[in-house]
Amino acid sequence: MHNQVLTDNTYQKFEELFQEFSQATALTRPEKAQKLMGQIDLQIDSSEGLDFIFQNIGGLSEAGIFDGSPWADPSKLVASLVNGTLKSSHPNSTIEILSELRLLAIANGKMKIKGFSAKDAENFIQEVIVANLEFVFNEPLEETRLVMSEHELKKVHTLFKFISKETKLDNVKEKLVEELSLICEQRPVVTEKQRKIIALVKEKIELDPTIDLDSKLLKFQRCIYRPTVKTIDKNFKEYKTSLKDFSKEQLEAESIEMSKSMLSFGLVSQYHPVLVKFLIEKGHKDLIPDCLGLSEAGTARWKEYEEFISKLILKTIHPYNAQCIYGLAKMLESGIFSREAVRSGLANMLTINIHPEVEERILKSTKTPHEKISALQYLMGALFRVLGQPLGVGQGNNPTCQSARGISMWSQHAPAKLINMVQTAATYNDLTFRFEAQEIKASAVGMGLVQNLDHNLDAVSVTLVPMLDKIYNEMMLRASGRAEDPHKWVNPALYGQWIQIGFASAYDYLYNAIVDFDGFIRVFYAMCHPKYNGGHRLIYPNPVGIFITSSKGDMLGFHAISLLRVDKDPKGVYRAYFLNPNNEGRQDWGQNVKPSVYGNGEIYGESSLPLNEFAARIYAFHYNNLEAIDKMENVPDEEIQNIRKLAEESWGRSYTWLETKKSW
Amino acid sequence: MAQCFALMGWSLPVIESMQKLNKPYVVVSFPDFEGYAKEHDIPFVSYQFDEWSDTSNSLDLYEKLKPFNADVAVPLFEETVEWAGALNSIYRGDPRVLNRAFLFRNKAMMKRKALIGGLRVGLFEEVYNKEGVKNFMKRLNQANLQIDGEQDSWVHIKPFASAGTVGHRLLRSMQDIEDKCQESDFPCLAESHLPGTEFSCEAFIHGGKIRFLNITEYVKLGYSNFIPEGHHLHSKRDKIMKEMQKLVDLFGIEYGMIHPEWFLTENDELSFGEVACRIPGGHILELCGKAYDFDALGAFVLCHDPNLSEEELKEILPPLDARPNQFYGNVMIYPHKNVINKLEIPEELKEESYFLDHNLIPPYTNQKINSREGFGNHFGTVNFKGEDPDRMTELLLHYENVDFYH
Repeated sequence: MHNQVLTDNTYQKFEELFQEFSQATALTRPEKAQKLMGQIDLQIDSSEGLDFIFQNIGGLSEAGIFDGSPWADPSKLVASLVNGTLKSSHPNSTIEILSELRLLAIANGKMKIKGFSAKDAENFIQEVIVANLEFVFNEPLEETRLVMSEHELKKVHTLFKFISKETKLDNVKEKLVEELSLICEQRPVVTEKQRKIIALVKEKIELDPTIDLDSKLLKFQRCIYRPTVKTIDKNFKEYKTSLKDFSKEQLEAESIEMSKSMLSFGLVSQYHPVLVKFLIEKGHKDLIPDCLGLSEAGTARWKEYEEFISKLILKTIHPYNAQCIYGLAKMLESGIFSREAVRSGLANMLTINIHPEVEERILKSTKTPHEKISALQYLMGALFRVLGQPLGVGQGNNPTCQSARGISMWSQHAPAKLINMVQTAATYNDLTFRFEAQEIKASAVGMGLVQNLDHNLDAVSVTLVPMLDKIYNEMMLRASGRAEDPHKWVNPALYGQWIQIGFASAYDYLYNAIVDFDGFIRVFYAMCHPKYNGGHRLIYPNPVGIFITSSKGDMLGFHAISLLRVDKDPKGVYRAYFLNPNNEGRQDWGQNVKPSVYGNGEIYGESSLPLNEFAARIYAFHYNNLEAIDKMENVPDEEIQNIRKLAEESWGRSYTWLETKKSW
Repeated sequence: MAQCFALMGWSLPVIESMQKLNKPYVVVSFPDFEGYAKEHDIPFVSYQFDEWSDTSNSLDLYEKLKPFNADVAVPLFEETVEWAGALNSIYRGDPRVLNRAFLFRNKAMMKRKALIGGLRVGLFEEVYNKEGVKNFMKRLNQANLQIDGEQDSWVHIKPFASAGTVGHRLLRSMQDIEDKCQESDFPCLAESHLPGTEFSCEAFIHGGKIRFLNITEYVKLGYSNFIPEGHHLHSKRDKIMKEMQKLVDLFGIEYGMIHPEWFLTENDELSFGEVACRIPGGHILELCGKAYDFDALGAFVLCHDPNLSEEELKEILPPLDARPNQFYGNVMIYPHKNVINKLEIPEELKEESYFLDHNLIPPYTNQKINSREGFGNHFGTVNFKGEDPDRMTELLLHYENVDFYH
């Protein structure tokens, strides 16, 4: 029952504390704010309480509740950070909720803030909704449940109930389609995120196939829940039974329809393994190329290694381990099976015993481990995916871009080495690397960058990353203190011999400054720009260090990516195509520098930027020091100055710039 | 009127009070605070209070304070009591002001002084090692006519010069002495356990007279208290006032505020515990200010000024016979577990009409809890307000045992 007296009392307390806060001088403000926030925290776990605070949000904002915090300026907020903050409990979650209420007030025209329009606020809120569907639908992910208390969950859910009431969900549908496209177009190895969104939409939003937007969402849904007409109203077991009555022609048609569904977004349904296994077991191997959607080249490879791959399929693939079919199909396309070393490696993998700790990590990374499926099966499946989709490897929520970059690179250029590494790591929970003629053993060195691994990763990554991360860190330690960026030595040692000897860095350790940026860019263009490097293409991925900047262009930190190729895009603009292991499709690096993940000539998994914009964010890369020097002079000064301007006006503001010429 | 108050120690609420009262002041504190002071235009003299040498002493500090025209020193914390005493000795031209400061800093000395003056105190002794404590307990047992098999008499040990409950240990048996006493505890004061309910007084003194007397009822030492005192203590107010004035006269206190702790037995006898002359812990002045609706911190500072006029005194202090009808209490919250992950405010508290506010800090993930030292490491305070002191007592006792951290 609604208790009027109690409620009045609560509001009165708010008023009192609000008054104390408003009257405090700068000296005791933080203390008064803490108390006020404590009161707000208690109030906002009910709709009435939240609404009351919403009515007061203008006053709170004016009184300076956001002052001196990262929430002070709404135009500096980042929608993708909201989720993490909401999970970080009071007081962060409380001020985050206040921030959302303020945005809602701005969007509804109840409040005005300079430099931030109602439209801006609305866009922001929609992005927040899309990134927080777990709260919108009150279906927190398992890890969310673990880190958040009842009260915190109630608070956040109350907020999103309130927001969804005040915002039109139709617009969110559009964002959902966009979000799903952004994710799927990258063909990530880990597909949990898009599956979760699709599942939530299926459960919570009524879709009308006659509406364009809805039919788009339905298309995503069908990939997972009813990939072919024959799967309608059947679960995969019933589907299996029904296959017996299919004629050869029907099986062929079914195979084609099934693979088409898979290829549209790179998502595999539970029906797909049933069909694939049925075809193999019942003597229809000739239909497998149709069922996997293979090209002629892929079909030829299938025919060559039919027996071996059939064995792999039967031992690995299962309705609860289905997604790897897409990876397998891509492996067949890329020709990786033609390598003897790869086949041997995969054959070896089938025989290993997985170390209990690795097994634990693998099962932890599997959202809903199924009792019939072994950790080895999951690991094999993940291996198919990583080998088939090298550009889909991600780092999850871990600061391990280096490790992810390595896995991706080996998957493309040293797949057998990668398989062998996985085999060793999975068996012994340990790895060794060579560094400058010395051995580094993961188990014998100190901590890596990541202390608590986020397990939203594929099984290959959870197997390797904890060790790779330690080895990388140890290499960095051993190479530090040499007055140059340690990556000069660490990159070749970690990634392998195809990393070029030459290493260019814009940052100078001796001067603690950016030195000879012009020369640096000259070398970069001489290395990769087809106009100035003799029309050459890049051969191996180039590990590049970049400055990450905020949407305002402010320096945020460092990041490791791989430059894969430089090409003209469909519009004739030279673009850098690169692997960004953080799988984020919605990036804004300020100055209108926005990496895209599709629509500009990207292959699945690539990010891209016009080459000059890319150049304006890099600080280190490798190059062939015998080749580049000659070509440096080809690069026109005008191009360099354009890049320099972008750099100076963004991350460059955080550094001193020196013009001393360096010999490159 | 004082030309300038030298505030000995860093306290933002006190500084804010001075600004609001528009009184001249200068803060003397550790160099760590200098940056903040500059940024907020706070007059500041940086001083290493824990250093005592040819170049770091009261005469040197006196010189450093000259440009500010400081003429009244106010000790905000236990550790600055002697510094303030030394400076005030110079300002008032009275060397005994310093000696008095020493009196506040030595628990054995203050007890002796109280005893001489006829206040009731427990048996006490300076002890230098475990043996000393054991002997003390033995003699106490004898005096209490202990029979074989009976419990030992309780003994408290406390460092001579620490604030509040820091280093305070209760020893219930010979075995306790063996188990709990550390080499580093000695030398210290040993004293017999005083029976009765404990409470504290905050007496604002000017010209040697008590101008306002607050009585703080301790619900549980180190956990909870409330203001004003409940009905029973209130009925003893005259008696308490008399003892308090006796203490003031005996110690020769002329200006400032003293914060003694007393024990009231069932036979209405008052025993003196100890006394301090800085800002008391447990947010007492905060509660006191709210209950009596005055700027308690500001009053604390101003009372140190010998030149404060009667009008000013009247303006800043509540009347001597004021009796508020709302009680303000708080309970300090300590985690009960050794490793905590989250803060959970219980539903019953949110629905409690006496509940006022809290400033509890959420822990970080897997935060480990160190053992408590002198009740110092609480995670925040929960405040209550209501008109029934018995209900208040009940609530404070209850929430002391509620686990907010999981």
